[in-house]
Amino acid sequence: MASTAWNPGATVLDVIAIGAPWLAAAVLTVWRRQPRLVGFMASLLSVAASAHLLLAAPEGESLYEALMLLYSCLTAGATLVLPKRDCDSRTISGILFLLGATLLAYSSGNLAVFLTGWVLSTIPFFPESWFRARAWRPATSLVLSSLALAAAIGIIYSSGHAISVDALKGRSPGGMAAFGLLVAAVILRKGIWPAHAWVADAAETGPSIPTALLLNGHLGALLVAKLILPLFPRTAGNVFPVLSWLAMATAIYVAIRTLTENSPRRLLAGIALSQSACILAGLESRTSEGITGALVHWFVVTISTTGLFGILRLLEVRFGENLTASDFLGLAGHAPRLAVFFAVFGLALVGLPGTLSFCSQDLLIHGTLMSHPVTGVVLPIATAMNAVSILRLFARLFLGRRRTGFTHMADALPRERWTLAVGVLFVVLGGLFPNLIVAQRSAEADRVVSAQAGPSVWAELSEHPPERIDHRPAASGESTRH
Amino acid sequence: MSSSQAALVFLVMAPGAVFCLLALTWLVGWVPSERVLSRITGLTFTTCLLALSPLLWTLASTGDSAISVTFGNWFAVHGYRFPLVLMADRLSLPFLAMTVTLSGLIGQFSATYLHREGGFFRFFVLLHLFAFGSLLAFAAGSFDLLIGGWELVGITSVLLIAFFDQRPAPVENSVRVFAVYRACDIGLLVAVFAMHNWAGNASFAAGMPKLAGAQPTIVCLFLLLAAAGKAAQIPFSGWLPRAMEGPTPSSAIFYGAISIHAGAYLLLRVQPLLAETRIATICVIVIGLATAIYGTIAGRASADAKTSLAFASLTQVGVVFVEIGFGLRSIAVAHVLGHAAVRTLQFLRAPSMLHDYHRMHSAIGGEIAPTGRRLEDLLPRRTQLWLYRWALDRGHLDTILDRGFIDPLLRISRLFARLDNAGRSTSAERRTKPPISIRCPAEQGVE
Repeated sequence: MASTAWNPGATVLDVIAIGAPWLAAAVLTVWRRQPRLVGFMASLLSVAASAHLLLAAPEGESLYEALMLLYSCLTAGATLVLPKRDCDSRTISGILFLLGATLLAYSSGNLAVFLTGWVLSTIPFFPESWFRARAWRPATSLVLSSLALAAAIGIIYSSGHAISVDALKGRSPGGMAAFGLLVAAVILRKGIWPAHAWVADAAETGPSIPTALLLNGHLGALLVAKLILPLFPRTAGNVFPVLSWLAMATAIYVAIRTLTENSPRRLLAGIALSQSACILAGLESRTSEGITGALVHWFVVTISTTGLFGILRLLEVRFGENLTASDFLGLAGHAPRLAVFFAVFGLALVGLPGTLSFCSQDLLIHGTLMSHPVTGVVLPIATAMNAVSILRLFARLFLGRRRTGFTHMADALPRERWTLAVGVLFVVLGGLFPNLIVAQRSAEADRVVSAQAGPSVWAELSEHPPERIDHRPAASGESTRH
Repeated sequence: MSSSQAALVFLVMAPGAVFCLLALTWLVGWVPSERVLSRITGLTFTTCLLALSPLLWTLASTGDSAISVTFGNWFAVHGYRFPLVLMADRLSLPFLAMTVTLSGLIGQFSATYLHREGGFFRFFVLLHLFAFGSLLAFAAGSFDLLIGGWELVGITSVLLIAFFDQRPAPVENSVRVFAVYRACDIGLLVAVFAMHNWAGNASFAAGMPKLAGAQPTIVCLFLLLAAAGKAAQIPFSGWLPRAMEGPTPSSAIFYGAISIHAGAYLLLRVQPLLAETRIATICVIVIGLATAIYGTIAGRASADAKTSLAFASLTQVGVVFVEIGFGLRSIAVAHVLGHAAVRTLQFLRAPSMLHDYHRMHSAIGGEIAPTGRRLEDLLPRRTQLWLYRWALDRGHLDTILDRGFIDPLLRISRLFARLDNAGRSTSAERRTKPPISIRCPAEQGVE
């Protein structure tokens, strides 16, 4: 769907990746047996199709395919980690619907399709029977962000007379009005200050794992990478720092806010939000280092925060839903493996050496400090505060006097243990051999930096795409997705 | 790769490999027995010690200034590179030898000291991770890589402070120490960024990065922040007594020997840069001197053996900082090595020393008589009292930090919380929570 030259192979794979979860979701509404198995198999199909798409993607242009693979894997993992109590056909069908919608947004090269993916990904969070939070702010933010995006796309279409992203690149269609609406959509969807509060509300009053999946779609950051930077290179260069400053303000505001938070869900949501705001700041840095760091950090934040929310949910199921960080709960004695997984995911989120986030933070901080020497200092400070918050949460949940009175309490079950181990392995192996991931993202960062350099550079790139992007044999018959 | 280069790589990687191995065995559900664990530890550090000999021999026989191993770039984005260079020179080799020797000794001591302790396995796993982090920091050929080892030392230190996790105090103190570490590590991150930005690299394998004008001063001041945090120098000294909550062997190796001297190593490493800037040099001397005086006064009012030793460490490290400030590099290195050895012994003796004192008191039928006059007796009585109160509150450093920084930050945090909660729906606030669960909810869904 994203290709300029239509490629039937890629389209079929796109349809499988997106259609399989939707089909499975539809099946689960009528046939409610074995939801975990159905969900896992459908996610696995998405994983396989996304992996094929990634392999077929041109070198340096595989970001969206990589994100599709990441999100499919994440959903497959979520279906395994989901506690038995939550694992009914409704939840699984909602998760699969969310997967399909998010992959649609990732794979789209068309404004209308992107909007469809964006709106559909919010649908499961409105009905009571699916994932509606018991607070008004999440639903309001999601609706407003969709309206802002729809209005922006409407203006872009009426001004640019095209709906394809490729056809609109570098033309700043719709001017400041469209740009402003797109930025508003990002702020509302991503939870950027001052529209940040809905994220913690959603995490606290909604279902934990589906909310984590919603947040980790990072469609706000995707909107920046997919539409704002390519379509508005000149405007983005001049006005975009405002969004960057807001992102940095969010990172530090939420980091300070979580220092005194005692609700584990709100605390985790705050840390996740603060760290994902760093992604936006990095994307705006206009340096290859910053953008590469942001893209790599995207992967880290997605995996770590989903892992953390998953573990928290497993603890809630075992020890009651009234967990609090105001007291030492001493749960490590009962669940030592969950404690270790929590510690690794938590520290991986805030730059523990030996994990992928050490590299991503290094690049991110370097890039941001290059573009914003004064305000960029905010990012390491926010990360330091987040590290303290995550350690505090770990200490309060897992350390302290061992609780007595439990007749029997299971530590991580094999399916949970090995799923979480795969996530840990990714962040650790990624940290030990980061160049495999960094080199790919670096090539994509170059394209973004080139795009931000101005329309002339972009036009020059567009005139000679084969030399720059297509390194594969001509006879391979693979996709030339942009 | 020559034999000395291979030895250097083995030396650094061996404890890291053992850590990974132990972590994996635990993940699959097997925990080695105490005997197996102590033998693995002994074997690891003995072979590491043996690996030091080719390094020493090569440096002594060839007259080379350093042995380095380059693995290329860990990752690179255009001009920004993270070089993977391990280096053993005349500065890092003594620190490497100290780390390996003392880690091995601590391993052997702990096998008996922590016998049948609940966290025996955890201690040894973290000991290997700590040794790996220290060796990485001391053998790093660039500041980028040094950060990796530096952070690992910090996190293992924090996890070992919380070793006795059944009590809240060690856990609370570990979070506090972690906060100080992270705050000060920002100095290291910013200094490395500045070096990359101004000199194009942060590698010292082929000499220090070339900086000009005010740049060395700025870089050195940021590095001093990191070094002062790690070495518990003023104004960050408050965390050191709190860190004494950990088990004695970890206190010995962290705060008597290796971790506490990591800050001094960092300053020794940047000494050529430090020599170019008078402001930073003066800051190093003033901080070192102030810490030495503070340590000796506060230590005199300490009621327990480990805290007294911690303040004694602080005093000596302060003196090391002064030596570095005056450019007495060789004396500083010798001071660090001697101090680390003596202080480790004192820490390890601390628990049994009390028994010895009790035995002596029983034998002589009363308290041991004071040995003589103290320096503080020379001061007027009122000054003595004031100093006593000052020392008892550990120089009010924690109070100053709390009132000047932490409390305002927490007040801002609570204000933000009120702002955020202003618009929350009543349904969320009235959310009914189930009573505290103390029974197994297995029937509710845990398989």
